[in-house]
Amino acid sequence: MTVVDAKGSPVTDVPALRASGLTKRYGRLTAVDALTLDVPPGEVFGFLGPNGAGKSTTIRLLLGLARPTAGRAEVFGVDAADVTRAHRRVAYVPADVALWPHLTGAEILHLQERTGPGTDRAYRDELVERFALDPSKPARTYSTGNRQKVALVAAFATRAPLLVLDEPTSGLDPLMEREFRAAVRAARDRGRTVFLSSHQLAEVEAVCDRVGILRAGRLAEVAAISRLRSLHRAEVTVTHTGPAPDLSTVPGVDGVSSAGDGQLRFTLTGPPAPALRALAAADVTALAVREPSLEEIFLDYYGSENGR
Amino acid sequence: MTAAVVSPAARPASLPAPGRAVSRLAIRQIRRGGLIVVALTSGMTAMVAATFDTVMADPAAAGSLAALAGNPAVRTLFGTPAGLDTSGGFTVWRVGTFTAVLLAAWTIMATTRITRGEEDTGRWDVLLAGRITLRGAVVRHLTAVMLVPVAAAAAMTTVLTMSGTPAGGALVHGIGTGLIGLFFAAAAALAAQIFPARTPATGTAFTVLGVTLLARMVGDGITALQWLRWLSPFGLTELSGPYLHDRVVPLVVLLAATAATALTVPVAAARREVRGGLTAAHTGRPARLGLLGGVEQFAVRRVLRPLAGWALGIGAYFLLVGLTAVSVTEFLAANPAMAGQAAEAGFAGLGSVTGFTATLFALLAMPVGGFVTVRLGAFVAAETDRRLVLLTAQPISRARLLGAEIAATTAAAVTLVTVAGLATWTGVTAIGGELPLTAALQGVWNTLPVAALGLGVCVLATGWAPRLAGTVGALPAVGGFLLLVIAESVGAPSWVREISPYAHLAPVPLTGADWTATAVMLAVAAVLTGAGIAGFRLRDLRS
Repeated sequence: MTVVDAKGSPVTDVPALRASGLTKRYGRLTAVDALTLDVPPGEVFGFLGPNGAGKSTTIRLLLGLARPTAGRAEVFGVDAADVTRAHRRVAYVPADVALWPHLTGAEILHLQERTGPGTDRAYRDELVERFALDPSKPARTYSTGNRQKVALVAAFATRAPLLVLDEPTSGLDPLMEREFRAAVRAARDRGRTVFLSSHQLAEVEAVCDRVGILRAGRLAEVAAISRLRSLHRAEVTVTHTGPAPDLSTVPGVDGVSSAGDGQLRFTLTGPPAPALRALAAADVTALAVREPSLEEIFLDYYGSENGR
Repeated sequence: MTAAVVSPAARPASLPAPGRAVSRLAIRQIRRGGLIVVALTSGMTAMVAATFDTVMADPAAAGSLAALAGNPAVRTLFGTPAGLDTSGGFTVWRVGTFTAVLLAAWTIMATTRITRGEEDTGRWDVLLAGRITLRGAVVRHLTAVMLVPVAAAAAMTTVLTMSGTPAGGALVHGIGTGLIGLFFAAAAALAAQIFPARTPATGTAFTVLGVTLLARMVGDGITALQWLRWLSPFGLTELSGPYLHDRVVPLVVLLAATAATALTVPVAAARREVRGGLTAAHTGRPARLGLLGGVEQFAVRRVLRPLAGWALGIGAYFLLVGLTAVSVTEFLAANPAMAGQAAEAGFAGLGSVTGFTATLFALLAMPVGGFVTVRLGAFVAAETDRRLVLLTAQPISRARLLGAEIAATTAAAVTLVTVAGLATWTGVTAIGGELPLTAALQGVWNTLPVAALGLGVCVLATGWAPRLAGTVGALPAVGGFLLLVIAESVGAPSWVREISPYAHLAPVPLTGADWTATAVMLAVAAVLTGAGIAGFRLRDLRS
């Protein structure tokens, strides 16, 4: 697909999603505050934040379902408000899927196919199998998880190069969660971009290349998961034969405690060089570094603040 | 927690009663609408009662009123007048049917909304996880709704008594109207136990309303079928004859029917599961892919079922009009004095079938206006409860999404009035009368601009004040009719009367269409629609 600029010449490196200064206010409440973000094509981007941080509002702005108070949202260079053009490249799974109660799953998939940006039918049928969805039932009888499956199958089966998924697995069981991860990986292998808002940190850790962390409507951090880890506390355990080193003045070291005979445990934030220099005198025989999980990083951001 | 060990038998005495909290919840959900309905029913009753002296003081107005009451079509619609020469009888005849239908329609919608509607959304799952049973919740919600007809009955009796009408008649009318409200609350609650979804429950209760109202009309219109009135709540209140007969027996019959229906509700509720009904929900069926090829087709698919229901009701009524047209007009033709009076009152040509049908076709704009309002209200409801989200995320512009709904609703409205025209023509032709098919169709199509105004107001609300979309659409058709009736009753200045679209509606097929008025109404409707679509494109979606 070739994206062209206003003059008609091809543009390279157009981000799949772009928010610049995106702001949404509801009266005195600022739900999204000057959010600036680019998601390049082909990336699986995790969008994290506690309840009420503004994740769903951001997604509604990116999809043109709500109008920004200030700033701009773009999908492959097209203004998000121009939905007839922008949505030709987007498939969306809402956080809380509501379906037409009289239509069966198959009828809803058909309606989505006929109104959508093009569907790979063979892949859709495969997804129906893999998600173990019974499409003959009226939507009124579907559980939360089954409604989510209908929306997921419809979205993954499209040919849209961008998938926007708002907490898509909150109602799925672990088996279906595994199918979901496989589908995300398959999408990435096909070169599709995935924008995944989620509370399932293990899921984000497993499938995402990069994450953005939203706090009170502002982006607190955007980084690759590996880089996020390096920015955060790693837990270090050292075994030494020499005298216990004094780490109290070393920058980045915190929470030093003895973990038994000749063992020392502490947390390390930032570059490890000063700590390693301090340890050199202690005859270290073993060194174990455990990187923080995404959950620990997440709790670091929100632990005491509840997000706001 | 200090009281860590509590023996199962020793329940803390301070635990609040769950039932009362549920009752308060139920009342909260209906209090605003309930107050409006009580204010409307008693307010309109008071207003009409106040106009009686003015009307009777003017001999010309009194004459026109007599002619109007003598018009069998009007009699069919408003009921047989009883004691029209008294202030109370005049009021009952003038607004009695309207207030009763208003109260009945509101209780049906309120009952299914706060019982089956809440259950459909899953909110009752949380409620019923507490200490209240399904039966208890249903009974308490029904009781809450039933407070409104009781309040309306008390308010109407009070305002009628304060207007100086005899207390006995006021009581009979107040109780009769209140009982109608109670009956339909019970009927709606029962339908909500039988069907596992809100729409069929509401639809069934409204079908009962339509059929019983029609039974009263047939009973009023055809002497041989007068007994039908005993089978209808509206017929029973008419039989009670407030201010003239003040009969108690019909009210006792209505009370017994209401009690029997209401007592069936808890029995039915105890026999079903939460989110289930007495009828089984479909467990699976082959896909029906027709009319799912695009938003326009899908809008048509969604309108078909409600259209069939409305067409059945409106068609039945206008078939009745057609069947009675010949006998009515022959009666008027044989009584030139009466026809002359009617002509003076502005009902010229009632002695001919075309004149008679023209008068009744004008009323068609009211149900059709109601229909378009309900449809746009359903569209906004789909947006609010997020059913529309998956479609709004497709490459479909907002204008096209709403435009598809407007187009399907317009086509359905045209179908509805055409059905009315065909039914009238069929009725007249079957009885051997003279009404060309083209005349019937021109007559019904002539009312479309009023329905278009209603649609325009609905679309405007959808764009700028979506909360109102399900109600304000009735303003041009129903509000306009009320304005005309009230303006003429109180002898308001002509400009007040001119606000009503009905003041500009030519009596087609008796005369030709007023093309200027038609063009102006359609232009206003188009401007309202355009402004509404513009608002819908700009605003945030409610989901």
